[in-house]
Amino acid sequence: MNKRTIFSISIIVNIILCMFFLFLLMDSYKAIYYDYLTRDTIEQNALKNNIEQECYGITAYRSRSIRIGAEIPKEVQDYYVIGEYADLLFLKEIHKRTQNNDTANDFESRLHEIRNEMPEYKSIFDSIDKSVKKSVKE
Amino acid sequence: MKCISCGGECRLTDEVCPYCGRQLVETSGYRSDIKKYKGKNEKTQKILDKVASENVPMIISVLVMVLLLTGIGVMIYINDNAYTFREEFMRKKAEKNYEGSLAEIQKYLDAGDYTGFAAYIEYNNIYVHKGPFEDLKLLGRFAEKYVELVNCVEKAVVFGDNAERYNPEESVSDCRWAICFFYQEYDYYSSEIEEDSYKEYIYDMKKKADKILEIYLGMDGDEITSFLQSSENEQEVYLEEVLMPNE
Repeated sequence: MNKRTIFSISIIVNIILCMFFLFLLMDSYKAIYYDYLTRDTIEQNALKNNIEQECYGITAYRSRSIRIGAEIPKEVQDYYVIGEYADLLFLKEIHKRTQNNDTANDFESRLHEIRNEMPEYKSIFDSIDKSVKKSVKE
Repeated sequence: MKCISCGGECRLTDEVCPYCGRQLVETSGYRSDIKKYKGKNEKTQKILDKVASENVPMIISVLVMVLLLTGIGVMIYINDNAYTFREEFMRKKAEKNYEGSLAEIQKYLDAGDYTGFAAYIEYNNIYVHKGPFEDLKLLGRFAEKYVELVNCVEKAVVFGDNAERYNPEESVSDCRWAICFFYQEYDYYSSEIEEDSYKEYIYDMKKKADKILEIYLGMDGDEITSFLQSSENEQEVYLEEVLMPNE
């Protein structure tokens, strides 16, 4: 095998290694700058399925991260806000009855805000309202 | 060598004597040999330079290969440890911004929003077991249990009329477990809570836990006590009646 052949082979190997390196570089970047959702390993469709199955309680606690300012991908943001609505409604009742009136009022305002911002989900919000109301034992 | 004409000292490479100027024919053979060798030497040098220049790209290629392999090794290491790096980064960031993080935490605590507090601690990877946030250790521990209780009850009671619930029996069992665990921990750590600087929030958390059971599971103070004192089976039966009335 002459030098030229060895050199050509080394160039090909380098190109393959370079491609592999770039792939790993992008993968590492993604791995380091992953968002809260990836870390929590919540599947993108999980919340959507929960809402479709009317399991609002699961949606509620799974989407709690949105309240503390976690970055939520745009395509699933609506589902998270629906979850936030259910969570706040559930928690509002507790705050109201433990004399945390300011917090209860803050939650109430946010609930109104969500309803106004997302009128297309009115039927879901109504269903959540009904389910939380139904779950309260008087 | 000496000049045969004047006897002056001459070098083998001199063509004429530097003293008398006589043509030095005796050294002509030596000089032509030197010329020949120099020529050969230059030729050899050229060959050597050519070989060396041919090898430069090969050497560069090998160096690039070594660098790429090292880079790949580093990337694989980063990939494998990305979670740890990220967690560590978040933890250090929170510790660096201690005052800011504490102010944010205080906001959640003052609002009585312990689920928000727990989510904030988790998201920012605030390490409460040691380090600057160690004061929050007990509060963090209870917040974790409180969140489990909230989640379990929330999951078990908030669902639509046509909900496709997956394994509601499991929800009942999770609820029972979360309730018992919270109250057992509360009893177990009662003396430590008494001395904790954040005790008022833990007491408030307990008050809220009581309220959750009252609002969503229909238990008042005495019923909570008797629920906790009853057997596992009795607890399950009670929760099944409340959470799965039609099933």
